[in-house]
Amino acid sequence: MIKAILIFNNHGKPRLSKFYEHYNEDTEQQIIRETFHLVSKRDENVCNFLEGGLLIGGSDYKLIYRHYATLYFVFCVDSSESELGILDLIQVFVETLDKCFENVCELDLIFHVDKVHHILAEMVMGGMVLETNMNEIIMQVDAQNKMEKSEVSASPSVC
Amino acid sequence: MSDVVEKTLTALPSLLSLDSQPGSAKLSSNSKLGNLIRGITELTSKHEEEKLIQRELLLIKEQVSSPNTTMKQMKELMVRAIYCEMLGYGVSFSYIHAIKLAQQGNVLEKRVGYLAVSLFLNEGHELLLLLVNTVLKDLQSTNLIEVCMALTVVSQMFPKDMIPAILPLVEEKLNHPKEIIRRKAVLALYKFYLIAPNQVQHIHNKFRKALCDKDPGVMSASLHIYLQLIQENPEGYKDLAPSFVTILTQVVGGKLPMDFNYHSVPAPWLQIHLLRILSLLGKNDQSTSEIMYDILDESLRRAEMNHNITYAILYECVKCIYTIYPKSDLLEKAAKCIGNFVLSAKINLKYLGLKALTYVVQQDPKLALQHQMTIIECLDHPDLIIKRETLELLFRITNDQNVTVIVEKMLDFLRISKDDHTSMDLVGKVAELAEKYPYKCFSVCI
Repeated sequence: MIKAILIFNNHGKPRLSKFYEHYNEDTEQQIIRETFHLVSKRDENVCNFLEGGLLIGGSDYKLIYRHYATLYFVFCVDSSESELGILDLIQVFVETLDKCFENVCELDLIFHVDKVHHILAEMVMGGMVLETNMNEIIMQVDAQNKMEKSEVSASPSVC
Repeated sequence: MSDVVEKTLTALPSLLSLDSQPGSAKLSSNSKLGNLIRGITELTSKHEEEKLIQRELLLIKEQVSSPNTTMKQMKELMVRAIYCEMLGYGVSFSYIHAIKLAQQGNVLEKRVGYLAVSLFLNEGHELLLLLVNTVLKDLQSTNLIEVCMALTVVSQMFPKDMIPAILPLVEEKLNHPKEIIRRKAVLALYKFYLIAPNQVQHIHNKFRKALCDKDPGVMSASLHIYLQLIQENPEGYKDLAPSFVTILTQVVGGKLPMDFNYHSVPAPWLQIHLLRILSLLGKNDQSTSEIMYDILDESLRRAEMNHNITYAILYECVKCIYTIYPKSDLLEKAAKCIGNFVLSAKINLKYLGLKALTYVVQQDPKLALQHQMTIIECLDHPDLIIKRETLELLFRITNDQNVTVIVEKMLDFLRISKDDHTSMDLVGKVAELAEKYPYKCFSVCI
């Protein structure tokens, strides 16, 4: 099960935070800070798996992360998930964002945080992986966005 | 992607300050969210950011409470509230309005309302009860997008006491003609099972139906449930072992539609799930294990390509082979696989190789011995995680001869480790070893 999905930049500024288990606001911020602290210390040539640290809970949880230029994508998962499987899932997520936003960059995530959430919701539901195929995810998001096109005529849509 | 990000990073200051740039049309130059973000980016201190956001929140609070605010405006306000909440500022005044947005908005407004609810609230929150009727209504909507949204929110959070009210509606979705709805319904029911298992006892036969669904996506979703159920009670599901073997055989044999291929590997995540389920079912059970040997052999053989995801499958295969009732030639192949992982230059594989060695060392101590040179090299690896994993492995192969060296290495690591969790764990291990080999450890620990 996926416990949380975090995206933050090289300075620790959160760009997306989704928790699939309840934590109060302060704890959530602490988790983001601690995760950034753990992940930013890592060099480029080390493995992409980390133990979760005291906060997110004992040894059953691990952090699986990928660093793309200015952004860290971190999935906090329990032992029921395959480490390499999640690593590739992050790649699928990023490729999907890339397709939806046309060469996605950090600015897209900042200005369209709700759209990123909608895309993520078609991939992970309630902490469980729902869909791993990029085209399927995009199809679902497109279907929702078509509603947008029929409602609002003027403003451009990004997907 | 990284090139684009680099370019964007250098262009960032100019993009944000000049509204007339063509790119900024895409970046909602007129939106209030855009202005807020531009405002924050221009500030230099946390204190100033706090002041700006508090001002913004007051503005949002005023507008959400105003009776003149349209749903369209509410949607935009909610996105700003989500953004502020992500940065760590309290937006509890907006919770009730998020629920209202989900209730009264059109489809795209509802989508933001539901998103806000899923980010702000939680299962135990008193306001969540107000959402129940909206969810019930949306589940019966003719608009499939609304049904999907309701199912998504339900799987994120739903008040336990209200499950009986919603259960029949979700159950009925298991028979829906659209595959995505059946799939979401399966996951929603799984969530119900996790929070209130006794409420869903009567529908276990429906899970079986989902397992046999003609659409592999739905079948795949049902595996989440089965993994959990089988973990809790492997005996109860031994009869399904042949079905899982058949499914895996078909997947590996390429019988699924091409859509399910990922980098030419057929449905890898599905394979991983199935391998986990099979290892739970075959553990300590010779007859059940016997039906799995062929497909495990086949999976090992097929996963020869060089991609992360095939290594993921190999890893699960290897773990499965070592968990179920042993078969010597399979074990030999699996051992070779582990060796390849440990010796790999790819650091993620090395890590998994060490983990696998730790896992199998009870059964096959010779394997660790075979790779002891590599293991010793890993002790000095620059990556702390690899070091730590090596110590974990060594802990399991301590004996009279090597305990002194191992404890010394652990103490060395403790001196440089900055992670409390790891340190605590290691201290515990050192203590355990000291107890077991008191005379050997005495001189080291002083």
